Amino acid sequence: MSVSDIGSRPSAPVTVLLVEDDEVIRKTVEMALERYGYRVSTAGDGLTGLELFREQRHDVLLLDVMLPGLDGIGLCRKIRESSMDPILMMSARGDALDVVSGLEAGADDYVVKPVDTSVLVARIRSLLRRASFAPGPERTPEPAAGGATDLVFGDLTIDPQGLEVHRAGEPVALAPTELRLLLEFAANPGIVLDRQTLLRNVWDYGWDGDSRVVDLCVQRLRKKIGPDRIETVRGFGYKLRR
Amino acid sequence: MRPAIARTAHGLLNWRSLRWKIAALVAVACCAVALALGVLVHQSTSERSMSLGRDRAFSELLVVVDDYRRTGRTPAYADPAEIPPVLLQQARSTGQYITWYDDRRPDIPWMWAVQSVGGQALAVKIDMGPEMRSLRALDRHIVMASLAVLAVVVPLGALAAELPNRRLRRVARTARRIADGDLEARSMVGGRGGDEISDISATVDSMADSLRDRLLSEQRFTADVAHELRTPLMGLVISAELLPESEATELVRDRVRVLRTLVEDLLEISRLDAGVERADRVLVPLGRFVEESVGRTGLQVQLTVTGDPVADTDPRRLDRIIANLVANAHRHGRSPVEITVNDTAIVVRDHGPGFPDELLADGPQRFRTGAAGRGRGHGLGLIIALGQAQVIGAGLAFANAPDGGAIATLHLRGDISSEADTSLMLPKDC
Repeated sequence: MSVSDIGSRPSAPVTVLLVEDDEVIRKTVEMALERYGYRVSTAGDGLTGLELFREQRHDVLLLDVMLPGLDGIGLCRKIRESSMDPILMMSARGDALDVVSGLEAGADDYVVKPVDTSVLVARIRSLLRRASFAPGPERTPEPAAGGATDLVFGDLTIDPQGLEVHRAGEPVALAPTELRLLLEFAANPGIVLDRQTLLRNVWDYGWDGDSRVVDLCVQRLRKKIGPDRIETVRGFGYKLRR
Repeated sequence: MRPAIARTAHGLLNWRSLRWKIAALVAVACCAVALALGVLVHQSTSERSMSLGRDRAFSELLVVVDDYRRTGRTPAYADPAEIPPVLLQQARSTGQYITWYDDRRPDIPWMWAVQSVGGQALAVKIDMGPEMRSLRALDRHIVMASLAVLAVVVPLGALAAELPNRRLRRVARTARRIADGDLEARSMVGGRGGDEISDISATVDSMADSLRDRLLSEQRFTADVAHELRTPLMGLVISAELLPESEATELVRDRVRVLRTLVEDLLEISRLDAGVERADRVLVPLGRFVEESVGRTGLQVQLTVTGDPVADTDPRRLDRIIANLVANAHRHGRSPVEITVNDTAIVVRDHGPGFPDELLADGPQRFRTGAAGRGRGHGLGLIIALGQAQVIGAGLAFANAPDGGAIATLHLRGDISSEADTSLMLPKDC
């Protein structure tokens, strides 16, 4: 999480939709992100944010939780109805209810205000990596060594190349983080992965990650791929049932 | 399943249980009634058989006296010499007949009657053995009947005590769950015409209601305060980053950093005070964890780990405690700062002047940083460490080493709790 790599701007500017009601934060975050080479569109309330989201495509959505009109959680839910774009929630309250309901609504990650630009940018980059699935240097797709062999776990079929998941023949729509988490499990079938490992490999967190992010993403994943596929190992973490 | 059986067995064997107390009370009451009745029956039966014996001895004596008057014969079977001389003397002086219960040999008792007729003492004796034996049989029967009644009534009493007992246990269980943080737990015992147990159950339930309301409003308040403080602070943080580099900008950024730490610490304390924090427990290998945690502080620490201890704790809170203790040791103590991990005790020690006396006596106080001017702390670090230690159920003690230097000892829970992964907001199975 260094601030130093301002030079490595993406070739096509990454577009960010920022929905934030506090004017100063909206302005300053917009300016700060633009310095990092992002193109930012902003909205001051949930409904305007929803309109902007529908009008044009954005690579990352940055939503405040407390918004006038439609709040961030409602907005997140509405967006998830039609899109799997990466969503980062910003909460000023930082209490469990805000965090949990934001993640339950389908957000990929959250930050608690006040947050540095560097942290914000690091989180956005991590989200973008998950969304684009350029395999990181530490992540090579080991199981599909031969190429496009699908991974099969019971009624679940994962195509690690085409990044498609089918359950009993039906395609399953997964948000980037959910897909990345499932691939992490699929790369280690039957092995218990603890929350810290998952936070590091999926969310790119250093040490201070909130393990609730993992718990809630696993819950969301279970809803989509069947409740028994991912097993809880009490006190340790989770594992994918072969 | 197993613990449930063990609990039941423990409950049954617990002699202090109300069940056994009530059973003992019933037994004592039964025994008292049986004793009183038994003594009464024994007494009156024995009196009756005595007076019957006396009557029989008297009629026998009448026959003997009559016979003596007519024929001058004295009865051979009863020798007046066996009678105590005092009684004989009395009989002689009064000329009336006298009876005497002779129990010199307890298993062969006699009833004597004696009368002096013209200077000649005439005596008769009646065998009281059958009466005595029937009295003894009666006593035995009373005892046996009492025991039979006890054998029926005491278990019945214990069983009857089981009903209120079960309701009481439910109330106790509920209270325990509330104390453990489950604010939705209610005993709902109710019913049974408003006896004392329904009373206490209703009280526990209403206490839980008001506790939950208070906690929720505290939670809402701290969350609102957090929102109100953090929103402008975030604007400030990002604006400060946007300022052009200069000496003045550095000053502003430094103050923003201090303000930010202070706000976060105060919010953390208010969350700890509100009692809304819950530990998110996992098994943590302490040696590696403490090493990493110390590494993140970027401060010099000599770490010694004995064995391979594992604690059942919340890693994020433990990290916070270690970081605060190490920072405090560096800020107010002197190097070398040493950390010893021994089993589930983590000891942080420095070689400075030690904790101030007020701290050792009253614990850490807000915004008291010992000697004014030393360091730049705002005195919240130890408060937070202490509060977080309480949340994870650990003990944190402060002491001074005899050869100088402050010692903070954190005692963690080593056992694997059955309620790992507890969190108010999350379902239990995640």
